[in-house]
Amino acid sequence: MVREILVAIAGSPNVGKSTLFNRITGGDVHVANWPGVTLTRTEGYIEHHNVKIKVVDLPGTYSFSAQDIGELIAREFLVKEKPDVLVVVVDATSLEKSLYLAVMAMELYDRVVVAVNMIDAASKRGLHIDFQGLKSRLGVPVVPISALKGIGVGVLLDRILEVAEGKTIRRESLKIDYDGLEPYIYEIARHLRIKGALKDYPPRWAAIRLLEGDDKIFEELKKVDQDLADYVRSVRERAEIELGEDPEKIAIGSRYMFIDDLVKSCVARVRLATPSLSERLDKVMLHPIFGPIAATFVILATFFLIFAVNTGFPLNIILEHLGYGELAGLVEEYSLSGVLGLMFDWLSTTVGGWMNSLGYNGWLTSLITEGLIGSLGTLISFVPLLLMAYIFLGAMQDSGLFPRAAVAYDNLFRRFGLSGRAFFPAALGMGCSVAAVVSTRGIDDDRERMVTAMTSPLIPCQARLLVLLTIASAAFANPLHQSILTVSIYILSFILYLLTSKLLNKYLFKVEHAPDLLMELPPYHRPSLRVIWWYARSNTEHFLRRAGLLILGLGIATWYLLNFGPSGFLSNGNIAGSYAAMLGRLLVPITGLIGLPDWRYALAFEVGFVAKEGLLITFSSIAGVPDPIEALKSIGITPVKAISLALAMNYYVPCLATVAALFTELRIGKYVIITILMELGLALITASLVYWSALFLGFI
Amino acid sequence: MIPLAFLMPGQRGRIVTLDVGRGKARRLMEMGLLPGEFVEVISNSVGPVVIRVRGMMLAIGRNVASRIWVEVT
Ligand SMILES: Nc1nc2c(ncn2[C@@H]2O[C@H](COP(=O)(O)OP(=O)(O)OP(=O)(O)O)[C@@H](O)[C@H]2O)c(=O)[nH]1
Ligand SMILES: [Mg+2]
Repeated sequence: MVREILVAIAGSPNVGKSTLFNRITGGDVHVANWPGVTLTRTEGYIEHHNVKIKVVDLPGTYSFSAQDIGELIAREFLVKEKPDVLVVVVDATSLEKSLYLAVMAMELYDRVVVAVNMIDAASKRGLHIDFQGLKSRLGVPVVPISALKGIGVGVLLDRILEVAEGKTIRRESLKIDYDGLEPYIYEIARHLRIKGALKDYPPRWAAIRLLEGDDKIFEELKKVDQDLADYVRSVRERAEIELGEDPEKIAIGSRYMFIDDLVKSCVARVRLATPSLSERLDKVMLHPIFGPIAATFVILATFFLIFAVNTGFPLNIILEHLGYGELAGLVEEYSLSGVLGLMFDWLSTTVGGWMNSLGYNGWLTSLITEGLIGSLGTLISFVPLLLMAYIFLGAMQDSGLFPRAAVAYDNLFRRFGLSGRAFFPAALGMGCSVAAVVSTRGIDDDRERMVTAMTSPLIPCQARLLVLLTIASAAFANPLHQSILTVSIYILSFILYLLTSKLLNKYLFKVEHAPDLLMELPPYHRPSLRVIWWYARSNTEHFLRRAGLLILGLGIATWYLLNFGPSGFLSNGNIAGSYAAMLGRLLVPITGLIGLPDWRYALAFEVGFVAKEGLLITFSSIAGVPDPIEALKSIGITPVKAISLALAMNYYVPCLATVAALFTELRIGKYVIITILMELGLALITASLVYWSALFLGFI
Repeated sequence: MIPLAFLMPGQRGRIVTLDVGRGKARRLMEMGLLPGEFVEVISNSVGPVVIRVRGMMLAIGRNVASRIWVEVT
């Protein structure tokens, strides 16, 4: 008989919940070394001893006060869905901090298993933990694990099943001594019991939360029993006067006192930690001048590496200067993307020839070789680049550098009405704008959250990087110039990110002072290959799935538009008479403003509304060659056109998926429309500036 | 008693009061920054003040750090 049980993973931020989730379920949710990575709930399944376990990864929270989106999600889940077993993850290297949420969870819930994670790091630091002692003091199973190394996960699953089956019996939920608050807790709990109010919560827990001034639960009470709510308020006020102190301070203090006591009796430091690499690194990273420089340098260096592997740059330049011109050409041609491009060219020609020999030489051959294989090749040839970029991004995210970068940039960002926290959406935006928009949930300040959601799509995502690199390679022969164009667009995008944030702060939200940063800085650690792989794999898979859909959808659509016209199938290659040309011409008056008065570019922009890869698919389809670089060349791209195209492409509108994410996060249609108009405006301004100044200076 | 933001790197202090408004004070206390707790300043120049408290490193914006009062120890 297969049963199904529901298990939730909760805990403070950054203790390794998502790592554990991935370990248990074989998933690849985002793991990174800063607090507040997970901001949605993710579900997964595993079967253990014939029991089907549904596992839910929750956002990390400092408490259940429902003060931010993460806390709200975690709390709603625990209270409303009541998992069969709650796994509370704590960090072995900082029990004195991460036990706080565990204690709160154990007060609320009786079916708990505590997973003491990162025991690998703890033993390296000379910490000895008495797990048996923890277990008897807390009254719940305590399992030492290392989610990263896969230690103890099997035992944890065993304990989970035992608790689910009621084998490990616990007498009652954890009781903390709240000192002076106790009489008031008793009083409120008694009334709650008598009146049967707030049945979702244990009365004692609800009473403590009410005394602590938990607005959320107070609102709930007000809805069901206004009189009782008034009474609770009066008890709270009385407590404050009689005790001469804020009840919430007493409550929080009592929990920490309990924790200090627990840690003192159960944790021993068997040897002193030596001044670590962490501290020496932080001497640089937290320096007022070197910090921002180092952060910028690391980001640029990452880029450089990605370029190097994918385009052969700068190896090809060096070789050329040394007089090995031929070798340089080979390096470029046989860089990863080069090889894949060649492969698809070959596939397309072979299949075409083969179909022709079978007698299919009409539109079907054209659809398959150009519409499908061509587009597929276009997108697949970028996979190595993407994989590489995600590997580097993943490594940086797991290292602990990002939170330092946030501190380093805080001072600069303040001038634009943002805190250093705004670095995160921007950095994640280099991977995917949807991820960037969702990550703004981790920002406490409402206005900062909205502003960064609206502006972070300006940062070029991986899809746009592909289009950028293609444009650059098509228009400039010199790899140095290609890189300059690409890097400048990135720098410009970061500048625009800050500038538009300032404008939105000033004119839309009418608040200009920056919110204060408040963030834990986790220790650095060597990026784990496993964590990097999770990130690279899930993102690349996502890209491929998307690519598949795009090719089927956009590939066939553009092929149809290009090969059919009012007069039917255009077998003679007379695309000027196609539907595509007609559609493109509609937008030519606008693309003319930015120096691209050509229906082919206009059509590409139209297709690109769905996703920016659509531009490449369009160019390939128009030219009838799978390699989009060759396709752009044959369309007659020039350096000036390339710059204008690159700018307009990057900004003119967020992709459909991003627009959808904006709707979910902002919830105000007006703000989404403003975002789109702002991007459109930026595209027109930047691209036409390039075109008109080139015209004025006599370059064209 | 002086604001946390006035402490030099390497100096230690003991928190006396959090004069930062209720919501923020709760958040700080939940993160372990309670009155009575010992803190050590790690870096303090132009940006946020970085401190060590309860074995963890915490970056606190300058405005908030100027309203956390400590006793130098
Ligand atoms: N040394 C060590 N590091 C670990 C272990 N488990 C996780 N980590 C690291 O801890 C960091 C945080 O891991 P996550 O799984 O993202 O933590 P989380 O609890 O999901 O964090 P939030 O989603 O922000 O709440 C990552 O850098 C992991 O590589 C472990 O067992 N040992
Ligand atoms: Mg997580």
